[in-house]
Amino acid sequence: MIKTQLNKIPLILFLIIVFIFFYLLIIDRNPADIPSALLNKKAPEFKTESLLKNEIFLSENQFDGQITVVNFFATWCKPCRDEHKYIQRFSNNTKIRVIGINFKDDSEKTIKWLKKYGNPYSDIATDKNGLIAIDWGVYGIPETFILNSKGIIKFRHVGPITKKIYNKIDLVIKKIR
Amino acid sequence: MSKNFKLINFFFFIILISLAEFFISNSFTLEPDEVLQNQKLEQRARNISKNIRCMVCQNQSIDDSSAPLARDMRILIRDKIKNGDKDIEIYNFLTERYGDFILLKPKLKFNTLALWFLPFIFFLLGVFVVFKKNKKIT
Repeated sequence: MIKTQLNKIPLILFLIIVFIFFYLLIIDRNPADIPSALLNKKAPEFKTESLLKNEIFLSENQFDGQITVVNFFATWCKPCRDEHKYIQRFSNNTKIRVIGINFKDDSEKTIKWLKKYGNPYSDIATDKNGLIAIDWGVYGIPETFILNSKGIIKFRHVGPITKKIYNKIDLVIKKIR
Repeated sequence: MSKNFKLINFFFFIILISLAEFFISNSFTLEPDEVLQNQKLEQRARNISKNIRCMVCQNQSIDDSSAPLARDMRILIRDKIKNGDKDIEIYNFLTERYGDFILLKPKLKFNTLALWFLPFIFFLLGVFVVFKKNKKIT
């Protein structure tokens, strides 16, 4: 009796594994979507040129005291163009500061691009060699981070902001306010 | 054409393909301007790069990947080595930003215990089952 029950163990284990794989297959998840290791940590500090102002961009002056949306973008990135209207919506909210980080881009082209499509950013940091992006754990632009008023990263989204993601970010902002 | 000659040709073809693959995978991604002059330092950079996952392609190391982010990381690793950083400091810098997922060989931690030991447990379970079945037959 016990022997026949013991013989069933491999079959039960096999069925559990099949069930786990099947469950992971049907739930709504993206295996490539990895949570940021910087979540709930202070945003990395950096110093670089400002694209819009004739001065040095010091991150420590930009990320404190207000909820901040930090958006990595480039003019050569088509999804950045697609999400631009949502970035603009964030900038319409006076309680939110929107900072752009211009990733490996041509400054003149970026200024023209912003004139054409509108500028939602209060300031733009330039990341000519992509090192700021690595410091922020970025792995593909566009990428957007939400920082609370103490400069702590509370949310990260990889890829373009869609209506669904915009609503999700809106909820996050309401929560951390 | 004899059968042996065809077979030799076939093996020669396979060797050529393997050699081409070897040289492509070892030299294609790394660009000449990235390589460090000091061979020891360069070897350290290659060893680290082989264990760092390309976050864009995810199933390749940055040493094999031609993605721009992989190139940026290779350059960053070499810069850090030139600045005197130890290997562990470079690994820590990257895992602090990208998490343990960036390591192709994950660290032995409490939450990776299953990953490291389940294969051995399943192997032992398999040996046990085979042993039991064989005993029954004999």
